[in-house]
Amino acid sequence: MAVLKVTDLHARYSAKGPEILKGISFEVEENDFFAIIGPSGAGKSTLIRCINRLVEPTSGSIVFDGREITTLSRVELRRQRRDIGMIFQEFNLVNRMSVMDNVLSGRLGYTSNLRTLFRAFPREDIDHALALLDRVGLIDHVDKRADQLSGGQRQRVGIARALMQDPKLMLLDEPTSALDPKISREVMELIKEMAQELKVPCLCNIHDVKLATECCNKIIGLQDGVTMFSGLTGDMNEEKLGEIYAMEVL
Amino acid sequence: MTSFSANPALSRVADRVQDSRRRSRYISGALTVALTIMVAWSVDVTVIQDTDWERIGSVANVWEATSHFIGLDLELFPDLLVPAIETLLIACLGTAFGLILCIPAAWFGAMNITPYAPITYPLARLMMTLSRSIHEIVWALFFVAVVGLGAMAGVLAIAVRSVGFIAKMTAEAIEDIDYGPVEAIKAVGGSNFQVIVYAILPQVLPQIVSVVIFEWEINIRRSAILGLVGAGGLGLVFFRQMNTFNYHGVTSVIVAILIIILLGEAISYFVRRRMI
Amino acid sequence: MSNRMAAFGGPEKKKLEWRRFRYPDSLYSYAGWLIAFTVVVFSIEYLNIPLDRILGMLGRMGDTLASRYYPPDIEYIMDRDYFGYVVETIQMAYLGALFGLIITIPIAWFASFNMTPSRRFVYPVARLFGMSCRAVHETIWAILFVSILGFGMLPGVLALTLFSAGFAAKLFAEEIERIDMGPVEAMRSTGANLFQIMLFGVWPQVRVAFTGIAIYTWDVAFRAATVVGFFGAGGMGWYLKRNVLQIETERVAAIILSIIVLVIISEALSAWARSAVMKMK
Repeated sequence: MAVLKVTDLHARYSAKGPEILKGISFEVEENDFFAIIGPSGAGKSTLIRCINRLVEPTSGSIVFDGREITTLSRVELRRQRRDIGMIFQEFNLVNRMSVMDNVLSGRLGYTSNLRTLFRAFPREDIDHALALLDRVGLIDHVDKRADQLSGGQRQRVGIARALMQDPKLMLLDEPTSALDPKISREVMELIKEMAQELKVPCLCNIHDVKLATECCNKIIGLQDGVTMFSGLTGDMNEEKLGEIYAMEVL
Repeated sequence: MTSFSANPALSRVADRVQDSRRRSRYISGALTVALTIMVAWSVDVTVIQDTDWERIGSVANVWEATSHFIGLDLELFPDLLVPAIETLLIACLGTAFGLILCIPAAWFGAMNITPYAPITYPLARLMMTLSRSIHEIVWALFFVAVVGLGAMAGVLAIAVRSVGFIAKMTAEAIEDIDYGPVEAIKAVGGSNFQVIVYAILPQVLPQIVSVVIFEWEINIRRSAILGLVGAGGLGLVFFRQMNTFNYHGVTSVIVAILIIILLGEAISYFVRRRMI
Repeated sequence: MSNRMAAFGGPEKKKLEWRRFRYPDSLYSYAGWLIAFTVVVFSIEYLNIPLDRILGMLGRMGDTLASRYYPPDIEYIMDRDYFGYVVETIQMAYLGALFGLIITIPIAWFASFNMTPSRRFVYPVARLFGMSCRAVHETIWAILFVSILGFGMLPGVLALTLFSAGFAAKLFAEEIERIDMGPVEAMRSTGANLFQIMLFGVWPQVRVAFTGIAIYTWDVAFRAATVVGFFGAGGMGWYLKRNVLQIETERVAAIILSIIVLVIISEALSAWARSAVMKMK
C-alpha cells in the first residue's frame, strides 16, 4: 500500500499569481527513495511543502497514511505533521541553541507548552536524541551551539531532528545543495542508510541528477509545474533528462 | 575618445544628470533659505523678545547666579542615600513591570506573529505610541492622581513609559527574524506557542536583552526626576533644595544622580559583556 | 521507540549521558536569575508596592480616566493663545536641536576614539561632557537655567541644547568610529592637517548618518520641549502646569491629547524625512 498518494495537485501562492503546480500525481510506497528532479523554478520545493501543507495546495488530494491531508483542521494537521520528518536546504536550525536542543525540537509535537517553556524534555527523548547524535557522528558536539558547526555537521543535526520524530515519511528539500560535493555525497549516503535502517520512505527534492540516480529508486521529473517523467530510476535516460531540463536558462 | 555631444545617447544621459543636479541644487538652496529664515524668526521670538534681559542683567550677574551652584553641601549626602536607593529601585521595578507590559505589546505589534492583524496590530501600535509620546513627567502626574504620592506612581510611570521603546525594538527584531527555524518547528508539528518559544524567542533574545539594559539606564535618569511631581526618589530632595535656595544642596543631588547613573552604566556594561 | 533505538545500538551499548544541569555554568545562570528575582522582591518590599491592590488600581485608573479626564475639553485648546504656545514649543525644540547639533559636531569629533586629536586628554573630557549632558535629565537642566536666567523660553532653548547635544554626540561619535579609515590614512599620508582630514576624509562618510541623527534629534527634542515649560521654561508645558495646579482635569486631558497628536505628526514627519535621506544615500 502506498504511504503517500498525491493526485492532481495544483498550487499557487496568490489568487492571481501564476500556477506553480499544474496537476501533479504520484505515489510513494514503503521503502521508496523517491526523487523529484527538475530545473530551478519547476515547483519542486512547492511540491514538497504542499505535502505537509507549509504551502497550501489550491486543489487536488494528498493521502498520507490513509488520511486526506488537504482537508485537515489545524490541530489535526499538527498531529499529522508529527509523522512527517523534514530536512531543509538551509538546515533551518535555531542557530543560537545547542545541538541537543535543536535535535530535541523534533519532539515538540509531543511536548506540552509548559515543558516547551522550560525545555524539560522527558528522559527517553533525551536518550533517543543522544543515540541519534551518536549515529550521525556528532556525539562530541552535543553542547555546541548550532552556529559553531560546519555545513555538513549542521545538516546532520537536521537529519537527527527529523528522525527524532519517528517519522513515517521523510521530506527532503534539497538537503545537499548548500554543501560542497564531497560532503553532499556523505550526507546523502547517511540519509539513505538511516532511511533503510529505520524503514522510512523518503521523498527527496534534488538538483543534482547524478546524485539522484545513484540514491533513488524512483524519479519524477518536473518542468514548470508539469510532470515530464515519472518512473523507476532505471528508465531514466539522457533524452528524457534533456526534455526535463530543456527550459533551463543557462 | 567620444565626446558627449557626438553620442546622442550619452548626451541625453549627461543632460539628465545635469538636470537632476540643478534640481537638487535648487531644492537644497530653497531649504537653506527656509531654514535660515526660520532660525532667525525663532531666535527673535524666543531669545530676543521673550527674555527678561533686565533680570538677567550683565554677564557678571549671570556668572554670579551660576556660581551659587558651585560647591557641595556635604552634610546632605547621608540623607541622599535612601532616596538614591529608592530611585535605583524605582528604575529596576519600573523596567521589570514595563517588560511584563511589553509581552503583549511586542507580540501583537509584530506584523508576522500578531494573532489577528486588523485588530491586534493597531492596538499594539497605539500602546507603543501612547507610551512614547507622553513624557514621563506627564505620566507621573497622571499616576500620582490615580494612586497617590509615592514610589508606586513612579514605578507605574516608568513601566508605562518603557513599553513603547522596548516593544517597538522587539517587534522590529521579530519582524526581521530568519523564517527557516519557524518553518522547521511548524514542520515537526509544533503549535504557535512552540514556534514563538522555540524558533522566534531564541533569535531575538540578544536584541531584547540589550534593549532592556539600554532602557534601564534611561529609566534611572527618569526615575531621578519623577520626585519633582511627587513620585518618590531623588527628585523630591532636589525640589526641596531648590525651594529652600540651598544651591550647594542642589549640586549635591545632581552629583548623587551622576553617581547612580555611573553605577548603572557599570552594571549594564558588566551584564552586557556576560550575556551577549 | 525502543526497537527503533535498538536498530543502531542505542544507549544500552554505549553509556551516553546528558543533563541540562551542568555543574558550574548552570549554577551561575541560576544565581543570575535568583539575583534578579531578589532585586524585584526587595524593591517591592522597600518601595511598599501593594501588589495585591494593583489590579484594583487598574480599575480605579479606568474610573479616574472616565470620570475626571473625559471628555477632554477640546474647545479650550482650539484657541489662538494655545496655538501660540504650540508654535513656541516647536521653535524651542527647533532651536535647541539646532544649537545642540552645532556643538555636537566638535564634541563627537573629540569623543570618537579613532579621530580624536588626543586620546589621553581631549577624548575623556569630551566623553565626560557628553555623558553629563545625557545623564542630567532635561527637566533638571530646565530648572537650573530657569533659576539662573529667569522664566522664559531662553532657558528652555538652552536646556534642550544640552539635552540634544548629549543625545546626538553619542550617536554621532559612534558613527564616526564606524568609518572606513582608508581615506583618512590616504589623506594623512599626503600631509593634510587634522581639520582637513575631518572635512575631506571623515565628513563625506558620515554626512548622511549625521542628517539622520539630526532629524532624530529634532524628534526627541520636540518631545522634551513639551514638558520643559512645566518648570517655567516656556511652551506648552507651562499651560499644562497651570491646569494641573488648578485641577482642570478635562483641560489637562485635552492638552495631553494635543501633545500626543503633535508628537505623532512630528514622528511621522521625521520618519518620512529619514527615509528620504536614506534614499538619497
